Amino acid sequence: MGNPRFAIARRELGSLRKEKTIVLALAIQLFVAAFSSFLVVGLVSLYDPGAASYQVDVAVTGDEEAVEDLLRAVGTEDGLSGRPYASSSDALTAFQGREVDAVLEASTGEDGRIRVAAVAPDTGVETTAVVVRLRAALRELERTERAERSASLATDPLSLPPATESSPYFGFTYTVLVPLLLFLPVFISGSLVVDSLAEEVARGTLELLRVAPVSFAAVVDGKLLAAGGLAPVQAIAWMLLLQLNGTAIESVPWLFGMVAGLSAVVVTLGAAVAITSPDRRVAQLLYSIGVLLVFAGTSLLPLNPANTAARLALGTAGVGAKAAVAGLVFVGVVALVGLRILVDRVDPNELG
Amino acid sequence: MTDRRTRLVAHARAVLRIARWEVSRSAGTLDRRTAVIGLVAVLVAGGIAAGAAVGGVALDRDLYRVGIAGDSPYYDAVDQSSALDARPVSDPNVELVVSETHISVADTQTGRAAYSAFRDAVRSYNERQMAREENQSAAFPVVVDLQYRERDALVPTGSRVDGGASGGGGDAGTAGGGGTDTGTAGGGGTDAGTGGGGGTDDGADGTAGGGPSASDAAAADDGGVDAPSLGGIAGLFGGDTSGSPASISPPFPFASLVLAFAFLVPMNFVIQAYGSSVLNERINRRGELLLVAPISPGDIVAGKTLPYLLGTVAITVAIAAAVGGGVVSVAAVVPVGLLFLASTFVGAMFARSFKELTFVTVTVSVFLTTYTFVPAIFTNVTPIALISPLTLVVRDLAGESIPLGEFLFSVGPILLAAVVLFLLGVGVYREEDMFTQRSVPLKFLDALDSRISRARSVATLSALSIPFVFIAELLAIAVLFVLPVDLTVPMILVAVAVVEELAKSLHVLAAFEKARFSRTLRSSLVLGGLSGLGFFVGEKFTAIAQLAGLQSLTLGQTAFAPSGVGIADGTGVGVLAVLGLFLAPLALHAVTASVTAFGASRGRSAYGVALVGAIAIHLAYNLRVVSALG
Repeated sequence: MGNPRFAIARRELGSLRKEKTIVLALAIQLFVAAFSSFLVVGLVSLYDPGAASYQVDVAVTGDEEAVEDLLRAVGTEDGLSGRPYASSSDALTAFQGREVDAVLEASTGEDGRIRVAAVAPDTGVETTAVVVRLRAALRELERTERAERSASLATDPLSLPPATESSPYFGFTYTVLVPLLLFLPVFISGSLVVDSLAEEVARGTLELLRVAPVSFAAVVDGKLLAAGGLAPVQAIAWMLLLQLNGTAIESVPWLFGMVAGLSAVVVTLGAAVAITSPDRRVAQLLYSIGVLLVFAGTSLLPLNPANTAARLALGTAGVGAKAAVAGLVFVGVVALVGLRILVDRVDPNELG
Repeated sequence: MTDRRTRLVAHARAVLRIARWEVSRSAGTLDRRTAVIGLVAVLVAGGIAAGAAVGGVALDRDLYRVGIAGDSPYYDAVDQSSALDARPVSDPNVELVVSETHISVADTQTGRAAYSAFRDAVRSYNERQMAREENQSAAFPVVVDLQYRERDALVPTGSRVDGGASGGGGDAGTAGGGGTDTGTAGGGGTDAGTGGGGGTDDGADGTAGGGPSASDAAAADDGGVDAPSLGGIAGLFGGDTSGSPASISPPFPFASLVLAFAFLVPMNFVIQAYGSSVLNERINRRGELLLVAPISPGDIVAGKTLPYLLGTVAITVAIAAAVGGGVVSVAAVVPVGLLFLASTFVGAMFARSFKELTFVTVTVSVFLTTYTFVPAIFTNVTPIALISPLTLVVRDLAGESIPLGEFLFSVGPILLAAVVLFLLGVGVYREEDMFTQRSVPLKFLDALDSRISRARSVATLSALSIPFVFIAELLAIAVLFVLPVDLTVPMILVAVAVVEELAKSLHVLAAFEKARFSRTLRSSLVLGGLSGLGFFVGEKFTAIAQLAGLQSLTLGQTAFAPSGVGIADGTGVGVLAVLGLFLAPLALHAVTASVTAFGASRGRSAYGVALVGAIAIHLAYNLRVVSALG
């Protein structure tokens, strides 16, 4: 028969499998990740002029000198091509006739500044693409103009290193997607423990413990083991999937330790809440707030979990991040011990 | 007359009594200690969230290590950047080394990302330096006034066929006409050049980099929701701006993101409690006493739901008041809350345990959040955006008026779906379903079957499935909208065929499984015909789609043209052909529904095969119609 804790953990996992909830859970996580990726890939490709092969034609008009500068700046930008127009009404007609996608009208102000009146189409998604490119060109213009006026500046601006190709999704993958996939399973596991214990109380099945050869502590342990063990396994599975997909994930053992530690903290939180307030409504509410507290609280730390996970996965983490993981595992162990003390002081028959 | 009145009063009394009982019982579970703990936890969490929002949670802190000497001119730029971690040049573990003469980059993806982060850091450092300059006209030699202008309709170049949308541009123009106001408000809020320094620049980069995280922070910060004045909100939508080039922020659907989180997150708490309460009735046969009482199940459900619905309304009103929305905002969001409650109710009626309920509620909330959020991204493309009620809120905040047709288009399907779900759930609010343990799909079939009493009911159920079909198809349109039209048109057609065939056949399958009809060819033909007819009649209501102009989008035409809604526009087609086209969908629905009904009468695996066949027929028909009309 072995340890009753394992038997209970097996039973918990069995019920998850039977209800197919675990499938639903995985599907939800996949959906959330896919949805956020969809959003970001969709939006970033609009924001990044190099990412989409979308050609924007710009009508340039206004002062002769400024037009020349503007055209030069527009020419430096990929996906942007400028056309001079004699007057602003010509340019606007071309804009309305969809010969050009945007209009820039330049004039020189009294203070020597170049005033640019930009007109962009109001068509939603396309607008963003146009405006992003216009902004890049105008910043280029600003840079050259500034250099010409450097005599009247107290500090010279630093010269900007040349642009290179870099995936715009790179930062997002590590700072958002990786932490999301690592921590979502932890949330869900904690919620599982709350549900599982609240249900035992609601159904009155804990009373059976009086005649069963298992202690209440063993029941709680078994549930913690099942739910808490599931989270790191899922998290690592996601990481391997990312790796298969071509995203390099470094220091997987450390990530595992981190998720395990965090999952110990969150799962004990769930169990403690479920034991102290056995009605599920109250327990779930308190649990949600508690998790919010844990994540909001740790996000204020210099080594917050999301950032640490991102740096570990990138492979740019130093000693500090690894110490943070060790600390998290330690906190997890302390939480488990604390829970055991709480469990020993509770009579399961008086719950509910 | 008086008889009906007394009955109505009796119903109302029963509902109110149960609602009161539900409230008092819920309050009873909350003892003083837990209430205090909860309150303290909320306060602490709120404080931390506010602190995090003020201090900013740097997800990308020290992401890349840069080897740089302390006396390098670039040192300050690297040191002040959150994503870069300045290290001594001698450190071998770095992605980037900046020396006097050149920059060496590790030849990895990480190295290239570090380099581009470095470039951004230098750029925003320059902005900050310039903001401190005495001679502002030399520091910011270029001033840009950006206007958004709507172009007249010409040709359906991209996805847009007509430009008759009333929203967007014209109003952006008027907002600009209050123009000087917007400009000065922008001076504090959006203009990096004069006041804000590099701060806003960083902010813009942040949104580009990690949309969802930025929104989280913003949602956590309640100050961020009500702080921006109307001008500020117009700025968020990319209203006209003026300032240095760096201060131009491309339109980002930031406001709808914040709104989505502000309105929908509290609903999640409400449905958690509501789902627990409903499932509690089903544990240990607790609900039995209520069931044997002389009250109809409908009244019980109404009574149990009422407090939570009122809670949702109260929260929505409070949030709407906080963000400055009016009656329209509340009227647009409350139906979403009702749909949240309705699907949770059905989920709690089906779930076998709290665990299963948790996953059902999470699924519901993820799905509905997607449904309300995705279309709202395209605030400027009116027909798509209107799919989401949040667009109504956004417009209400901007002070625009909303035509009744558009309001109905946005809210109607949601409201109808909520009502149908409640009907479905009430159908299984009876002893034999409440206290038995069956898997969710089987319970679902039970619920469908409970609404079928005779062959005619099949037609009714098909018609009632229309709101769900509508919601599913709209979501598909909204999600696929960003992809190129060549790719999305076939995908939409497949999605439409799958959704519609399922909607026409699931309840027929349920009826056959429950042996409600004899498993003969004749009865499957009758049921299939009725189901097709019901669906056809229901589908005619998609004419509402025309009111809102979704037909003007290529995708909208693809999804809805096969139903024969938009064919009146086909000027070159003769009357007979129009009549034929008008009735063709009826024939199609009857045929495919008969195919699936026949499959369903032979058992579940035969149903699966028949479903695939029906989808194929449907797809072939749709392809013909779309190519004929296109």
